[in-house]
Amino acid sequence: MQDLAFVIAGWGVIIGGLAAYAVLLLKRLSLARRVSIGIRQQAESAPPPDRPA
Amino acid sequence: MTRILGLVALIAVVAASANALFVVPADVNQGDAQRIMYVHVPSAWLAYLSFGVTALAGIGYLWRRDLRFDAIAVAGAEIGVMFTAFAIWGGMMWGRPVWGVFWQWEDPRLTTTALLLALYLGYLLFRRLTDDPHRRAARAAVVGLIAAVDIPIVHFSVEWWRGLHQTPTIGSPDKVLNPSAPGLFVIALVSMVAAFTLAWAWLMMRRYQLARIEWQIEEHGRLGRITAARRAAMAALPPADGAKEGA
Amino acid sequence: MNALRADVAVAWQIARKDALAELRGRQAAGSTIFFAGLVLLLFGFALGPDSRRLTEAAPGLLWLAIVFGSLLTVARLHQLEADDGALEELARYPIERHAIFLGKALSGFAAVLVLGGLLLPLVAILYGIDLAAAWPALLATLVLGAIGISAVGTFYAGVTVRMRAREVMLPLLMLPIIAPLLLAAVKATSAALLGDPLGDLGAWLQLLTAFDIVMLAAGAVTYGYLLEE
Repeated sequence: MQDLAFVIAGWGVIIGGLAAYAVLLLKRLSLARRVSIGIRQQAESAPPPDRPA
Repeated sequence: MTRILGLVALIAVVAASANALFVVPADVNQGDAQRIMYVHVPSAWLAYLSFGVTALAGIGYLWRRDLRFDAIAVAGAEIGVMFTAFAIWGGMMWGRPVWGVFWQWEDPRLTTTALLLALYLGYLLFRRLTDDPHRRAARAAVVGLIAAVDIPIVHFSVEWWRGLHQTPTIGSPDKVLNPSAPGLFVIALVSMVAAFTLAWAWLMMRRYQLARIEWQIEEHGRLGRITAARRAAMAALPPADGAKEGA
Repeated sequence: MNALRADVAVAWQIARKDALAELRGRQAAGSTIFFAGLVLLLFGFALGPDSRRLTEAAPGLLWLAIVFGSLLTVARLHQLEADDGALEELARYPIERHAIFLGKALSGFAAVLVLGGLLLPLVAILYGIDLAAAWPALLATLVLGAIGISAVGTFYAGVTVRMRAREVMLPLLMLPIIAPLLLAAVKATSAALLGDPLGDLGAWLQLLTAFDIVMLAAGAVTYGYLLEE
Protein backbone atom coordinates (compact mmCIF):
# COMPACT_ATOMS: atom_id res chain seq x y z
CA MET A 1 0.00 0.00 0.00
CA GLN A 2 3.03 2.26 -0.23
CA ASP A 3 1.84 3.03 -3.71
CA LEU A 4 -1.00 5.02 -2.21
CA ALA A 5 1.41 7.71 -1.11
CA PHE A 6 2.51 8.24 -4.71
CA VAL A 7 -1.04 8.25 -6.00
CA ILE A 8 -1.98 10.88 -3.44
CA ALA A 9 1.14 12.90 -4.12
CA GLY A 10 0.60 12.71 -7.86
CA TRP A 11 -3.07 13.55 -7.88
CA GLY A 12 -2.84 16.01 -5.05
CA VAL A 13 -0.19 18.19 -6.58
CA ILE A 14 -1.77 18.17 -10.02
CA ILE A 15 -5.40 18.77 -9.09
CA GLY A 16 -4.41 21.04 -6.24
CA GLY A 17 -2.04 22.97 -8.45
CA LEU A 18 -4.73 23.35 -11.07
CA ALA A 19 -7.17 24.68 -8.52
CA ALA A 20 -4.59 27.02 -7.01
CA TYR A 21 -3.65 28.42 -10.40
CA ALA A 22 -7.29 28.95 -11.32
CA VAL A 23 -7.98 30.83 -8.10
CA LEU A 24 -4.84 32.90 -8.47
CA LEU A 25 -5.73 33.70 -12.05
CA LEU A 26 -9.16 34.95 -11.08
CA LYS A 27 -7.60 37.13 -8.39
CA ARG A 28 -5.08 38.60 -10.81
CA LEU A 29 -7.88 39.24 -13.27
CA SER A 30 -10.09 41.07 -10.80
CA LEU A 31 -7.15 43.14 -9.60
CA ALA A 32 -6.21 44.07 -13.14
CA ARG A 33 -9.78 45.00 -13.95
CA ARG A 34 -9.94 47.30 -10.96
CA VAL A 35 -6.71 49.00 -11.95
CA SER A 36 -7.90 49.36 -15.51
CA ILE A 37 -11.21 50.90 -14.46
CA GLY A 38 -9.36 53.22 -12.16
CA ILE A 39 -7.20 54.41 -15.02
CA ARG A 40 -10.17 55.03 -17.23
CA GLN A 41 -11.94 57.06 -14.56
CA GLN A 42 -8.82 59.08 -14.05
CA ALA A 43 -8.58 59.81 -17.74
CA GLU A 44 -12.19 60.86 -18.00
CA SER A 45 -12.18 63.21 -15.03
CA ALA A 46 -8.90 65.00 -15.64
CA PRO A 47 -7.90 65.45 -19.28
CA PRO A 48 -4.18 66.21 -19.63
CA PRO A 49 -3.38 69.93 -20.09
CA ASP A 50 -0.93 69.48 -22.97
CA ARG A 51 -2.06 68.27 -26.29
CA PRO A 52 -1.61 64.54 -26.98
CA ALA A 53 0.89 63.62 -29.71
CA MET B 1 -19.96 32.66 -21.72
CA THR B 2 -16.60 31.93 -20.22
CA ARG B 3 -18.31 31.40 -16.90
CA ILE B 4 -20.45 28.61 -18.30
CA LEU B 5 -17.37 26.97 -19.74
CA GLY B 6 -15.69 27.24 -16.37
CA LEU B 7 -18.60 25.64 -14.62
CA VAL B 8 -18.86 22.82 -17.12
CA ALA B 9 -15.13 22.23 -16.89
CA LEU B 10 -15.24 22.09 -13.12
CA ILE B 11 -18.05 19.54 -13.11
CA ALA B 12 -16.31 17.48 -15.76
CA VAL B 13 -13.02 17.40 -13.89
CA VAL B 14 -14.69 16.43 -10.63
CA ALA B 15 -16.78 13.72 -12.25
CA ALA B 16 -14.00 12.23 -14.34
CA SER B 17 -11.61 12.32 -11.39
CA ALA B 18 -14.08 10.56 -9.13
CA ASN B 19 -14.50 7.90 -11.75
CA ALA B 20 -10.77 7.49 -12.28
CA LEU B 21 -9.98 7.31 -8.59
CA PHE B 22 -12.84 5.28 -7.17
CA VAL B 23 -14.90 3.60 -9.84
CA VAL B 24 -12.41 2.15 -12.27
CA PRO B 25 -10.72 -0.96 -10.86
CA ALA B 26 -7.03 -0.94 -10.09
CA ASP B 27 -4.65 -2.38 -12.65
CA VAL B 28 -3.69 -5.98 -12.04
CA ASN B 29 -0.02 -5.42 -12.92
CA GLN B 30 0.65 -1.89 -11.73
CA GLY B 31 -1.82 -1.59 -8.88
CA ASP B 32 -3.23 1.72 -7.83
CA ALA B 33 -0.17 3.48 -9.12
CA GLN B 34 -1.60 3.14 -12.59
CA ARG B 35 -4.27 5.69 -11.63
CA ILE B 36 -1.61 8.38 -11.83
CA MET B 37 -1.74 7.95 -15.57
CA TYR B 38 -5.20 9.52 -15.51
CA VAL B 39 -3.67 12.87 -14.56
CA HIS B 40 -0.29 12.41 -16.14
CA VAL B 41 -1.47 11.76 -19.69
CA PRO B 42 -3.92 14.71 -19.88
CA SER B 43 -1.25 16.99 -18.43
CA ALA B 44 1.27 15.88 -21.01
CA TRP B 45 -1.23 16.32 -23.83
CA LEU B 46 -2.05 19.84 -22.67
CA ALA B 47 1.60 20.69 -22.20
CA TYR B 48 2.28 19.97 -25.85
CA LEU B 49 -0.97 21.52 -27.03
CA SER B 50 -0.16 24.75 -25.22
CA PHE B 51 3.26 24.78 -26.76
CA GLY B 52 1.77 24.41 -30.20
CA VAL B 53 -0.62 27.25 -29.48
CA THR B 54 2.20 29.49 -28.32
CA ALA B 55 4.25 28.75 -31.41
CA LEU B 56 1.31 29.33 -33.77
CA ALA B 57 0.32 32.51 -31.96
CA GLY B 58 3.85 33.73 -32.42
CA ILE B 59 3.61 33.16 -36.15
CA GLY B 60 0.30 34.98 -36.07
CA TYR B 61 1.92 37.97 -34.45
CA LEU B 62 4.77 38.09 -36.93
CA TRP B 63 2.26 37.90 -39.74
CA ARG B 64 -0.27 40.47 -38.50
CA ARG B 65 1.61 42.45 -35.82
CA ASP B 66 -1.54 42.24 -33.71
CA LEU B 67 -0.69 42.10 -30.01
CA ARG B 68 -3.72 39.93 -29.37
CA PHE B 69 -1.73 37.08 -30.84
CA ASP B 70 0.99 37.79 -28.35
CA ALA B 71 -1.57 37.65 -25.54
CA ILE B 72 -2.50 34.17 -26.71
CA ALA B 73 1.17 33.23 -26.83
CA VAL B 74 1.90 34.28 -23.27
CA ALA B 75 -1.27 32.56 -22.04
CA GLY B 76 -0.20 29.36 -23.73
CA ALA B 77 3.28 29.60 -22.29
CA GLU B 78 2.24 30.21 -18.71
CA ILE B 79 -0.43 27.54 -18.70
CA GLY B 80 1.81 25.25 -20.68
CA VAL B 81 4.68 25.46 -18.22
CA MET B 82 2.27 24.50 -15.47
CA PHE B 83 1.00 21.43 -17.29
CA THR B 84 4.53 20.46 -18.24
CA ALA B 85 5.53 20.54 -14.59
CA PHE B 86 2.46 18.45 -13.78
CA ALA B 87 3.32 15.95 -16.48
CA ILE B 88 6.86 15.50 -15.18
CA TRP B 89 5.64 15.26 -11.61
CA GLY B 90 3.05 12.68 -12.59
CA GLY B 91 5.63 10.78 -14.57
CA MET B 92 7.95 10.68 -11.56
CA MET B 93 5.20 9.67 -9.15
CA TRP B 94 4.25 6.86 -11.49
CA GLY B 95 7.81 5.87 -12.20
CA ARG B 96 8.84 5.31 -8.60
CA PRO B 97 6.35 2.53 -7.79
CA VAL B 98 6.28 0.99 -11.27
CA TRP B 99 9.88 1.32 -12.42
CA GLY B 100 11.48 1.61 -9.03
CA VAL B 101 13.09 4.92 -9.94
CA PHE B 102 11.89 8.50 -10.11
CA TRP B 103 13.74 9.18 -13.28
CA GLN B 104 14.80 7.15 -16.26
CA TRP B 105 16.88 8.43 -19.15
CA GLU B 106 15.58 5.85 -21.55
CA ASP B 107 12.02 7.06 -21.58
CA PRO B 108 11.86 9.46 -24.50
CA ARG B 109 8.64 11.06 -23.28
CA LEU B 110 10.05 11.93 -19.89
CA THR B 111 13.27 13.40 -21.21
CA THR B 112 11.56 15.29 -24.01
CA THR B 113 9.08 16.75 -21.53
CA ALA B 114 11.92 17.81 -19.26
CA LEU B 115 13.46 19.66 -22.16
CA LEU B 116 10.05 21.16 -22.93
CA LEU B 117 10.01 22.55 -19.40
CA ALA B 118 13.43 24.08 -19.92
CA LEU B 119 12.30 25.66 -23.19
CA TYR B 120 9.13 27.07 -21.63
CA LEU B 121 10.93 28.53 -18.65
CA GLY B 122 13.51 30.08 -20.93
CA TYR B 123 10.73 31.57 -23.03
CA LEU B 124 8.94 33.08 -20.03
CA LEU B 125 12.14 34.45 -18.50
CA PHE B 126 13.10 35.87 -21.84
CA ARG B 127 9.80 37.71 -22.15
CA ARG B 128 10.36 39.44 -18.84
CA LEU B 129 13.54 41.06 -20.00
CA THR B 130 12.02 43.15 -22.77
CA ASP B 131 9.74 46.06 -21.95
CA ASP B 132 8.56 47.27 -25.31
CA PRO B 133 5.43 45.21 -26.14
CA HIS B 134 6.01 44.90 -29.86
CA ARG B 135 9.67 44.11 -29.57
CA ARG B 136 8.91 41.58 -26.89
CA ALA B 137 6.20 39.98 -28.99
CA ALA B 138 8.45 39.71 -32.03
CA ARG B 139 11.39 38.29 -30.13
CA ALA B 140 9.23 35.88 -28.19
CA ALA B 141 7.57 34.70 -31.38
CA VAL B 142 10.92 33.95 -32.95
CA VAL B 143 12.26 32.17 -29.87
CA GLY B 144 9.07 30.17 -29.54
CA LEU B 145 9.26 29.11 -33.13
CA ILE B 146 12.78 27.73 -32.93
CA ALA B 147 11.84 25.89 -29.76
CA ALA B 148 8.79 24.38 -31.42
CA VAL B 149 10.89 23.21 -34.34
CA ASP B 150 13.36 21.60 -31.96
CA ILE B 151 10.86 19.48 -30.04
CA PRO B 152 10.23 16.82 -32.70
CA ILE B 153 13.99 16.53 -33.26
CA VAL B 154 14.51 16.00 -29.56
CA HIS B 155 11.86 13.33 -29.34
CA PHE B 156 13.14 11.54 -32.37
CA SER B 157 16.75 11.57 -31.21
CA VAL B 158 15.93 10.32 -27.73
CA GLU B 159 13.91 7.49 -29.23
CA TRP B 160 16.94 6.44 -31.25
CA TRP B 161 19.11 6.86 -28.19
CA ARG B 162 16.95 4.53 -26.23
CA GLY B 163 16.86 1.93 -28.96
CA LEU B 164 20.50 1.07 -28.37
CA HIS B 165 20.16 0.29 -24.70
CA GLN B 166 17.71 -2.41 -23.81
CA THR B 167 18.37 -2.90 -20.11
CA PRO B 168 16.34 -5.82 -18.81
CA THR B 169 16.39 -4.63 -15.20
CA ILE B 170 14.16 -1.64 -15.76
CA GLY B 171 10.85 -2.66 -17.27
CA SER B 172 9.81 -1.45 -20.67
CA PRO B 173 8.27 2.01 -20.42
CA ASP B 174 5.57 0.98 -22.82
CA LYS B 175 3.90 -0.98 -20.09
CA VAL B 176 1.90 2.12 -19.33
CA LEU B 177 -0.35 1.53 -22.28
CA ASN B 178 -0.99 -2.16 -21.64
CA PRO B 179 -3.31 -2.15 -18.68
CA SER B 180 -5.18 -5.19 -17.55
CA ALA B 181 -8.63 -3.76 -18.30
CA PRO B 182 -8.30 -1.84 -21.55
CA GLY B 183 -11.93 -0.90 -22.09
CA LEU B 184 -12.59 0.83 -18.79
CA PHE B 185 -9.13 2.32 -18.86
CA VAL B 186 -9.70 3.95 -22.20
CA ILE B 187 -13.03 5.42 -21.18
CA ALA B 188 -11.61 6.79 -17.95
CA LEU B 189 -8.56 8.19 -19.72
CA VAL B 190 -10.52 9.81 -22.53
CA SER B 191 -12.95 11.40 -20.11
CA MET B 192 -10.09 12.80 -18.06
CA VAL B 193 -8.42 14.17 -21.16
CA ALA B 194 -11.69 15.78 -22.25
CA ALA B 195 -12.34 17.24 -18.81
CA PHE B 196 -8.82 18.61 -18.52
CA THR B 197 -9.03 20.07 -21.99
CA LEU B 198 -12.19 21.94 -21.05
CA ALA B 199 -10.41 23.28 -17.99
CA TRP B 200 -7.48 24.26 -20.18
CA ALA B 201 -9.73 26.15 -22.57
CA TRP B 202 -11.25 28.11 -19.70
CA LEU B 203 -7.83 28.88 -18.22
CA MET B 204 -6.58 30.03 -21.63
CA MET B 205 -9.51 32.41 -22.06
CA ARG B 206 -9.06 33.93 -18.63
CA ARG B 207 -5.32 34.23 -19.01
CA TYR B 208 -5.78 35.83 -22.42
CA GLN B 209 -8.15 38.40 -20.91
CA LEU B 210 -5.64 39.09 -18.20
CA ALA B 211 -2.86 39.54 -20.75
CA ARG B 212 -4.87 42.10 -22.70
CA ILE B 213 -5.78 44.13 -19.64
CA GLU B 214 -2.19 44.00 -18.42
CA TRP B 215 -1.03 45.29 -21.75
CA GLN B 216 -3.44 48.19 -21.55
CA ILE B 217 -2.17 49.03 -18.08
CA GLU B 218 1.36 48.75 -19.33
CA GLU B 219 0.60 51.07 -22.24
CA HIS B 220 -0.95 53.57 -19.92
CA GLY B 221 2.09 53.40 -17.68
CA ARG B 222 4.37 54.07 -20.63
CA LEU B 223 2.24 56.94 -21.92
CA GLY B 224 2.13 58.35 -18.43
CA ARG B 225 5.89 58.31 -18.19
CA ILE B 226 6.27 59.84 -21.63
CA THR B 227 3.75 62.56 -20.80
CA ALA B 228 5.42 63.28 -17.48
CA ALA B 229 8.82 63.45 -19.15
CA ARG B 230 7.54 65.84 -21.78
CA ARG B 231 5.94 68.05 -19.19
CA ALA B 232 9.16 68.15 -17.23
CA ALA B 233 11.11 68.98 -20.36
CA MET B 234 8.74 71.76 -21.36
CA ALA B 235 8.72 73.21 -17.85
CA ALA B 236 12.52 73.38 -17.97
CA LEU B 237 12.54 75.33 -21.23
CA PRO B 238 12.68 79.13 -21.16
CA PRO B 239 9.29 80.63 -22.13
CA ALA B 240 9.18 80.22 -25.90
CA ASP B 241 7.07 82.00 -28.46
CA GLY B 242 4.94 79.95 -30.84
CA ALA B 243 6.04 76.79 -29.08
CA LYS B 244 6.63 73.99 -31.52
CA GLU B 245 5.35 70.53 -30.75
CA GLY B 246 8.11 68.00 -30.08
CA ALA B 247 7.86 64.37 -31.10
CA MET C 1 20.38 33.30 -59.98
CA ASN C 2 21.88 36.73 -59.49
CA ALA C 3 20.06 37.13 -56.21
CA LEU C 4 21.66 33.95 -54.97
CA ARG C 5 25.11 35.10 -55.98
CA ALA C 6 24.54 38.41 -54.26
CA ASP C 7 23.50 36.66 -51.07
CA VAL C 8 26.51 34.40 -51.15
CA ALA C 9 28.77 37.38 -51.70
CA VAL C 10 27.25 39.20 -48.77
CA ALA C 11 27.51 36.20 -46.48
CA TRP C 12 31.12 35.69 -47.47
CA GLN C 13 31.97 39.34 -46.82
CA ILE C 14 30.44 39.23 -43.38
CA ALA C 15 32.20 35.97 -42.55
CA ARG C 16 35.51 37.39 -43.72
CA LYS C 17 35.07 40.51 -41.65
CA ASP C 18 34.33 38.44 -38.57
CA ALA C 19 37.26 36.13 -39.20
CA LEU C 20 39.63 39.08 -39.56
CA ALA C 21 38.30 40.60 -36.37
CA GLU C 22 38.79 37.31 -34.59
CA LEU C 23 42.34 36.99 -35.83
CA ARG C 24 43.15 40.52 -34.76
CA GLY C 25 41.56 40.09 -31.38
CA ARG C 26 43.50 36.91 -30.81
CA GLN C 27 43.34 37.24 -27.09
CA ALA C 28 39.62 36.70 -26.84
CA ALA C 29 39.61 33.73 -29.17
CA GLY C 30 42.63 32.27 -27.42
CA SER C 31 41.04 32.69 -24.03
CA THR C 32 38.02 30.77 -25.21
CA ILE C 33 40.13 27.86 -26.34
CA PHE C 34 41.98 27.98 -23.06
CA PHE C 35 38.68 27.95 -21.20
CA ALA C 36 37.46 24.89 -23.08
CA GLY C 37 40.73 23.15 -22.38
CA LEU C 38 40.37 23.93 -18.69
CA VAL C 39 36.89 22.46 -18.74
CA LEU C 40 38.32 19.23 -20.11
CA LEU C 41 40.95 19.22 -17.42
CA LEU C 42 38.41 19.77 -14.69
CA PHE C 43 36.28 16.95 -16.01
CA GLY C 44 39.32 14.77 -15.42
CA PHE C 45 39.42 15.82 -11.81
CA ALA C 46 35.69 15.43 -11.42
CA LEU C 47 35.34 12.00 -12.98
CA GLY C 48 38.77 10.47 -12.53
CA PRO C 49 41.13 8.98 -11.68
CA ASP C 50 39.83 5.75 -13.21
CA SER C 51 41.09 6.18 -16.74
CA ARG C 52 38.76 3.56 -18.14
CA ARG C 53 35.79 5.58 -17.00
CA LEU C 54 37.30 8.70 -18.52
CA THR C 55 37.98 6.96 -21.80
CA GLU C 56 34.36 5.86 -21.94
CA ALA C 57 33.16 9.32 -21.11
CA ALA C 58 35.55 11.07 -23.48
CA PRO C 59 33.15 11.73 -26.38
CA GLY C 60 30.61 13.30 -24.05
CA LEU C 61 33.21 15.43 -22.30
CA LEU C 62 34.69 16.57 -25.59
CA TRP C 63 31.36 17.81 -26.86
CA LEU C 64 30.43 19.46 -23.61
CA ALA C 65 33.68 21.38 -23.72
CA ILE C 66 32.99 22.37 -27.33
CA VAL C 67 29.49 23.54 -26.46
CA PHE C 68 30.61 25.59 -23.48
CA GLY C 69 33.40 27.17 -25.46
CA SER C 70 31.01 27.94 -28.29
CA LEU C 71 28.75 29.87 -25.93
CA LEU C 72 31.55 32.35 -25.47
CA THR C 73 32.46 32.39 -29.14
CA VAL C 74 29.04 33.15 -30.58
CA ALA C 75 28.38 35.80 -27.98
CA ARG C 76 31.64 37.49 -28.85
CA LEU C 77 31.00 37.40 -32.60
CA HIS C 78 27.79 39.30 -32.14
CA GLN C 79 29.16 41.67 -29.57
CA LEU C 80 31.56 43.06 -32.16
CA GLU C 81 28.72 44.70 -34.02
CA ALA C 82 26.45 45.43 -31.11
CA ASP C 83 28.92 47.61 -29.30
CA ASP C 84 29.29 49.90 -32.28
CA GLY C 85 25.68 49.88 -33.28
CA ALA C 86 26.80 48.22 -36.46
CA LEU C 87 23.96 45.73 -36.52
CA GLU C 88 21.48 48.48 -37.18
CA GLU C 89 23.79 49.77 -39.88
CA LEU C 90 23.88 46.37 -41.51
CA ALA C 91 20.14 46.13 -41.35
CA ARG C 92 19.77 49.33 -43.30
CA TYR C 93 21.71 48.10 -46.27
CA PRO C 94 19.58 46.69 -49.07
CA ILE C 95 20.76 43.15 -48.46
CA GLU C 96 18.84 40.09 -47.51
CA ARG C 97 18.60 39.43 -43.81
CA HIS C 98 19.20 35.75 -44.26
CA ALA C 99 22.49 36.55 -45.92
CA ILE C 100 23.57 38.37 -42.78
CA PHE C 101 22.58 35.39 -40.71
CA LEU C 102 24.39 32.92 -42.92
CA GLY C 103 27.49 35.07 -42.95
CA LYS C 104 27.64 35.21 -39.19
CA ALA C 105 26.83 31.53 -38.95
CA LEU C 106 29.69 30.84 -41.31
CA SER C 107 32.22 32.66 -39.16
CA GLY C 108 30.77 30.95 -36.11
CA PHE C 109 31.16 27.61 -37.82
CA ALA C 110 34.80 28.29 -38.55
CA ALA C 111 35.44 29.30 -34.96
CA VAL C 112 33.72 26.25 -33.51
CA LEU C 113 35.48 23.97 -35.96
CA VAL C 114 38.84 25.36 -34.93
CA LEU C 115 37.88 24.95 -31.29
CA GLY C 116 36.89 21.34 -31.79
CA GLY C 117 39.94 20.61 -33.85
CA LEU C 118 42.21 21.91 -31.10
CA LEU C 119 40.36 20.04 -28.39
CA LEU C 120 40.56 16.66 -30.11
CA PRO C 121 44.28 16.12 -29.54
CA LEU C 122 43.85 17.35 -25.97
CA VAL C 123 41.14 14.78 -25.39
CA ALA C 124 43.33 12.13 -26.94
CA ILE C 125 46.10 12.93 -24.47
CA LEU C 126 44.00 13.42 -21.37
CA TYR C 127 41.64 10.54 -21.82
CA GLY C 128 43.74 8.12 -23.76
CA ILE C 129 41.99 7.69 -27.06
CA ASP C 130 43.41 6.71 -30.36
CA LEU C 131 42.31 9.18 -33.00
CA ALA C 132 44.21 7.92 -35.99
CA ALA C 133 41.97 5.16 -37.26
CA ALA C 134 38.75 7.06 -37.00
CA TRP C 135 39.73 10.47 -38.24
CA PRO C 136 37.45 10.75 -41.32
CA ALA C 137 34.38 9.94 -39.26
CA LEU C 138 35.58 12.20 -36.48
CA LEU C 139 36.10 15.03 -38.91
CA ALA C 140 32.62 14.56 -40.38
CA THR C 141 31.08 14.60 -36.92
CA LEU C 142 33.04 17.69 -35.98
CA VAL C 143 31.98 19.52 -39.13
CA LEU C 144 28.31 18.63 -38.80
CA GLY C 145 28.29 19.40 -35.10
CA ALA C 146 29.99 22.74 -35.64
CA ILE C 147 27.42 23.74 -38.27
CA GLY C 148 24.55 23.02 -35.89
CA ILE C 149 26.13 24.73 -32.90
CA SER C 150 26.94 27.76 -34.99
CA ALA C 151 23.47 27.98 -36.51
CA VAL C 152 21.72 27.83 -33.16
CA GLY C 153 24.32 29.93 -31.40
CA THR C 154 24.31 32.66 -34.02
CA PHE C 155 20.56 32.83 -33.85
CA TYR C 156 20.39 33.16 -30.08
CA ALA C 157 23.31 35.52 -29.96
CA GLY C 158 21.30 37.73 -32.30
CA VAL C 159 18.26 37.37 -30.09
CA THR C 160 20.06 38.31 -26.89
CA VAL C 161 22.56 40.81 -28.19
CA ARG C 162 20.90 43.88 -26.76
CA MET C 163 19.17 42.39 -23.80
CA ARG C 164 19.68 42.71 -20.11
CA ALA C 165 21.23 39.65 -18.51
CA ARG C 166 22.38 38.42 -21.90
CA GLU C 167 25.33 36.48 -20.46
CA VAL C 168 22.97 34.06 -18.82
CA MET C 169 20.11 34.25 -21.31
CA LEU C 170 22.21 33.02 -24.22
CA PRO C 171 23.16 29.69 -22.61
CA LEU C 172 19.75 29.35 -21.00
CA LEU C 173 17.98 29.60 -24.32
CA MET C 174 20.53 27.80 -26.42
CA LEU C 175 21.37 24.73 -24.37
CA PRO C 176 17.96 23.02 -24.42
CA ILE C 177 17.83 23.47 -28.17
CA ILE C 178 21.27 21.97 -28.62
CA ALA C 179 20.46 18.83 -26.61
CA PRO C 180 19.67 16.59 -29.60
CA LEU C 181 22.81 17.74 -31.37
CA LEU C 182 24.85 16.92 -28.30
CA LEU C 183 23.25 13.51 -28.08
CA ALA C 184 23.87 12.69 -31.73
CA ALA C 185 27.39 14.11 -31.86
CA VAL C 186 28.47 12.16 -28.82
CA LYS C 187 26.94 8.96 -30.16
CA ALA C 188 28.60 9.47 -33.51
CA THR C 189 31.97 10.25 -31.96
CA SER C 190 31.72 7.23 -29.72
CA ALA C 191 30.75 5.00 -32.62
CA ALA C 192 33.61 6.36 -34.71
CA LEU C 193 36.17 5.73 -31.99
CA LEU C 194 34.99 2.18 -31.45
CA GLY C 195 34.98 1.35 -35.12
CA ASP C 196 31.22 1.54 -35.46
CA PRO C 197 30.33 -1.80 -33.86
CA LEU C 198 26.58 -1.28 -34.10
CA GLY C 199 26.63 0.22 -37.55
CA ASP C 200 24.72 3.27 -36.42
CA LEU C 201 27.31 5.93 -37.20
CA GLY C 202 25.52 6.76 -40.43
CA ALA C 203 22.21 7.19 -38.68
CA TRP C 204 23.63 9.62 -36.16
CA LEU C 205 25.36 11.63 -38.84
CA GLN C 206 22.06 11.80 -40.69
CA LEU C 207 20.37 13.11 -37.58
CA LEU C 208 23.07 15.75 -37.25
CA THR C 209 22.58 16.74 -40.87
CA ALA C 210 18.84 17.01 -40.44
CA PHE C 211 19.31 19.14 -37.35
CA ASP C 212 21.72 21.41 -39.19
CA ILE C 213 19.40 21.90 -42.15
CA VAL C 214 16.38 22.62 -39.96
CA MET C 215 18.22 25.07 -37.73
CA LEU C 216 19.96 26.90 -40.55
CA ALA C 217 16.65 27.30 -42.36
CA ALA C 218 14.75 28.38 -39.27
CA GLY C 219 17.49 30.80 -38.29
CA ALA C 220 17.75 32.31 -41.74
CA VAL C 221 14.01 32.84 -42.00
CA THR C 222 13.54 34.39 -38.58
CA TYR C 223 16.73 36.42 -38.20
CA GLY C 224 15.22 39.22 -40.19
CA TYR C 225 12.55 39.82 -37.55
CA LEU C 226 15.25 40.38 -34.97
CA LEU C 227 16.90 43.14 -36.94
CA GLU C 228 13.67 44.94 -37.58
CA GLU C 229 13.50 46.66 -34.25
